[in-house]
Amino acid sequence: MFAWIRAIASRTRTRLSPRRVDQEFEHELQTHLDMLTDENIRRGMSPEEAGCAARLKLGGVTQLKETNRELRGFPILETFFQDTRYALRMLRKNPGFTAVAVLTLALGIGANTAIFSVVYAVLLKPLPYANPNQLVTAFAANTQEGIPENGTSYPNFEEWRAQNHVFSGLATINFHQLTLTGRGEPSVVETCVVTPEHFSLLDVKPLQGRIFFPEDGKQGAPPVVIVSENLWRGTLGADPKILGSSIVLDKRPFTVVGIMPAGFRSPLINSNQEVWIPLVQDPLFGSWMARRGGHWLPVFGRLKPGVSVAQAQAEMDAISERLASEFPAENKGWTVRLVPLQKEIVGDVRTALLVLLAAVGLVLLIACANIANLLLTRATSRSREIAVRTALGAGRARIIRQLLSETAVLGLLGGIIGIALAYAGVQVLGSLMPENLPRLNAIRVDNFVLVFALLLSAVASIAFGLVPAMFSANSNIQASLREGGGRSGESGNRRRARNFLAAMEIALAMVLLVAAGLLLRSFSKLTAVSPGFDAQHLVKAEISLPQFQYSKPQQWTAFSDELLARIQAQPGMKDSAVVIPLPIVNGYINIGFDIEGAPPASHADSRLANYASVSPEYFRVMGIPLLAGRFFNQQDILSGPRVSVISKTMAQRYFPNQDPIGKRLNFGFPPNADVDREIVGIVGDVRDVSLGEAPGPMMYVPYAQAPFWGANLVVKSTLSADAVAAAIRQEVQKIDKDLPVTDVGKMPDLIDASVSQQRFRTFLLGLFAAMALILAATGIFGVISYSVSCRTNEIGIRVALGASRATILRMILRETLLLAFAGLVIGVPCALVASRLISFLLFGVSVHDPVTLAAVAFILAAVAILAGFVPARRAMQVDPVIALRHE
Amino acid sequence: MAADKSDILQGTLDLMVLKTLDAMGPQHGYGIARRIEQISEEALQINQGTIYASLVRLMQKRWISGAWGTSDNNRKAKFYSITKSGRKQLNAEARNWERISTVIGRVLRLADRG
Repeated sequence: MFAWIRAIASRTRTRLSPRRVDQEFEHELQTHLDMLTDENIRRGMSPEEAGCAARLKLGGVTQLKETNRELRGFPILETFFQDTRYALRMLRKNPGFTAVAVLTLALGIGANTAIFSVVYAVLLKPLPYANPNQLVTAFAANTQEGIPENGTSYPNFEEWRAQNHVFSGLATINFHQLTLTGRGEPSVVETCVVTPEHFSLLDVKPLQGRIFFPEDGKQGAPPVVIVSENLWRGTLGADPKILGSSIVLDKRPFTVVGIMPAGFRSPLINSNQEVWIPLVQDPLFGSWMARRGGHWLPVFGRLKPGVSVAQAQAEMDAISERLASEFPAENKGWTVRLVPLQKEIVGDVRTALLVLLAAVGLVLLIACANIANLLLTRATSRSREIAVRTALGAGRARIIRQLLSETAVLGLLGGIIGIALAYAGVQVLGSLMPENLPRLNAIRVDNFVLVFALLLSAVASIAFGLVPAMFSANSNIQASLREGGGRSGESGNRRRARNFLAAMEIALAMVLLVAAGLLLRSFSKLTAVSPGFDAQHLVKAEISLPQFQYSKPQQWTAFSDELLARIQAQPGMKDSAVVIPLPIVNGYINIGFDIEGAPPASHADSRLANYASVSPEYFRVMGIPLLAGRFFNQQDILSGPRVSVISKTMAQRYFPNQDPIGKRLNFGFPPNADVDREIVGIVGDVRDVSLGEAPGPMMYVPYAQAPFWGANLVVKSTLSADAVAAAIRQEVQKIDKDLPVTDVGKMPDLIDASVSQQRFRTFLLGLFAAMALILAATGIFGVISYSVSCRTNEIGIRVALGASRATILRMILRETLLLAFAGLVIGVPCALVASRLISFLLFGVSVHDPVTLAAVAFILAAVAILAGFVPARRAMQVDPVIALRHE
Repeated sequence: MAADKSDILQGTLDLMVLKTLDAMGPQHGYGIARRIEQISEEALQINQGTIYASLVRLMQKRWISGAWGTSDNNRKAKFYSITKSGRKQLNAEARNWERISTVIGRVLRLADRG
């Protein structure tokens, strides 16, 4: 043990003056040589012979010195510093090469790091709650009716909570907007409606005050509210005495009991969150609490420690079976489906993000191939230097180590610049990102992402460094030393490796281009799809009525009647209507219906349709065509006979070969679910769910017969959107000065925003494909340029022997095309596999879309020719006299 | 963690250098190399340079020490001499070596008979 420590001590000591020790050793060897020579002379050799024999006997002095140095110092560390210094010197000497290599790598690393920071934040980072893997969502599902995920009713939730033994807590959460008055301008606050367990279950601490207690959830408890830090600092003016004072929501005072820190967000709710109130206090949902039949309450819970999702699922299965037999009218066919919260929040974004990550990984691969190619080219011109080193006694491992240090330095530089690019990239991504991407606020370049970037650059530099290093260390010393400077002699192996790398680059670029092309075509098809209405010149605004003041449906109708009358009286705003929900913008309401006189629905054809409540002008304003019967009119009022208008798909699906006009349907929006209505008209289909989803059956009711506490106003006007918005605000204030007008927007913009995720990924994949194309083009350019410079002699001879310039051009371009062709041959099958993998992202385009494939192949071939053309021109201009004299 | 026995040839050379210094007193590199060649009756033709790797190793383990001095023909040379711990090591190694060679000899005779 001590011997070992002493050895280290001795090594450390000699580190102090390595040069002096080196000199001493050299002297020692010289003495040895002299003594050997003396003896040889004594034996009768001539002095020259004697010296020669002595050197043979002692062995290579340089090698001995090298071994001695290695034994003495910490060789790895020492040679590492040496190599790094040398590498930096070499890189400084070739600024062009260094710049290209570092920039290429930085782009690759930067793009990867930026995308990875998104993937990490959205997919990998644990949710910001204590023990997040215990959190699960509990959906009510009805497979018979094809409903995979739904909320449940409050009475059912109470049964779940009381009967289970697997959850340490269960909570519900819902969301809507309330109107905050009495603090400046009336404003809309985004409200989470929760059961009291919500906070204790998530194990969160308030910034000030308290969280909800179980008593807050009881009927008759005083109304309390928890506000967000942002609302407190903003609208509430950071009022230090806010706790215990009250704020007015929908004209009703709520006592503030707590402030939630700005970083806290309730799960399952994607929108902004400003206040939390107990479910029992909510003006809308509170009145639904007694109904068992509704499916409107999302539920989540925390598993007890040690309980698995499967165990909990088994227990919930048993509970839902009991509930189904106990309350068959409301619960028949309904089961519970548990999904880990993280999985539910991330949803289907996961696969799209992974596709982007794979794409950006391919870009890095191409960048690496490019740098490997550059290094190979350089290795050829450096083969003489390496041969000299080998001759002077450097071992193969030592040479590889030195070359790898050079690439490691390259990799590190590229990594550092790449991380800087990633910081910028994340900023840009953040501004481009669709707002409905979950966990958007968690995206940043943090330590984990930095480690990823550094690892990536290390792996990349080994990847692109090892191949050329192996080739260099293998080179034939004697051949290299004899050659002038490695200009004409290049090993076939190395050329093949370079051509292979260039072909691979083309193949990888093809994969990315095909994917991007397919997404681009999908996107253009998607945006070209007609939503079934005319969005041009359409402006919408949302008005929601405070529940306590406007509590009766008659009031809602009266308000909308007055509003419409006032708006329509404005110049240029004649075409105005009221609708809830507005297609694409508001989402959709899907409810069941029955057909009078038809047998009860079988499991196979579940009778579900989307529901909308509209004022008579709605169809005309939206440009939805009437196909049969009539639109709603002013006579369709609450006291008149109930009527309905259905969509074309609904008519075709449920009334094949018959005239639906005059038939009767039974449906309704809770709480008036059981209403008979006569079909009076058929209108064209509307894509109400999203642009990408084919229209399903749809039924409309007159707003006067199915009013709501709030609605969307749609105005078709050639006036500017601002003018329309101002007019709406002015008229609303005239009716009630405390009513806020929110979410004003132009319909075309809103439709645009609805495809923001598609636009985002199409844009990114397009960007990556463009990067890949540029990298592949520089790769081809490099290979062909180098090949031309190696073949200068040959070309000179050809020209001297009478080859025309055109022949030379053809010769070089043929080489280029051959390379491109090889790349395409490898690329096509890869691209086909890749496009099958992304088929779920496509819309209206076949996975094997021949147009895309052909276009990409054409683009790649054209770019390859373009990249080869520059060196080919140089080859054309070779002067045979100069080329031959060059030898 | 005494001597590294993994590399027999290296260890053997180290042992021979130690023994030479033990027997002859302070000696320079050339002298040690010549001596080993003579003792082995020229059967062991070493590349004389390898002696120096052995010397560095022994120095690091403090089994020998080195100092500059003047040789017979007035040359400045580095002289190595065995230290106390070097002598202890030599004894241990020598015993070890004898034991191993006896065992190997026995095994080889056994193989002959079989």
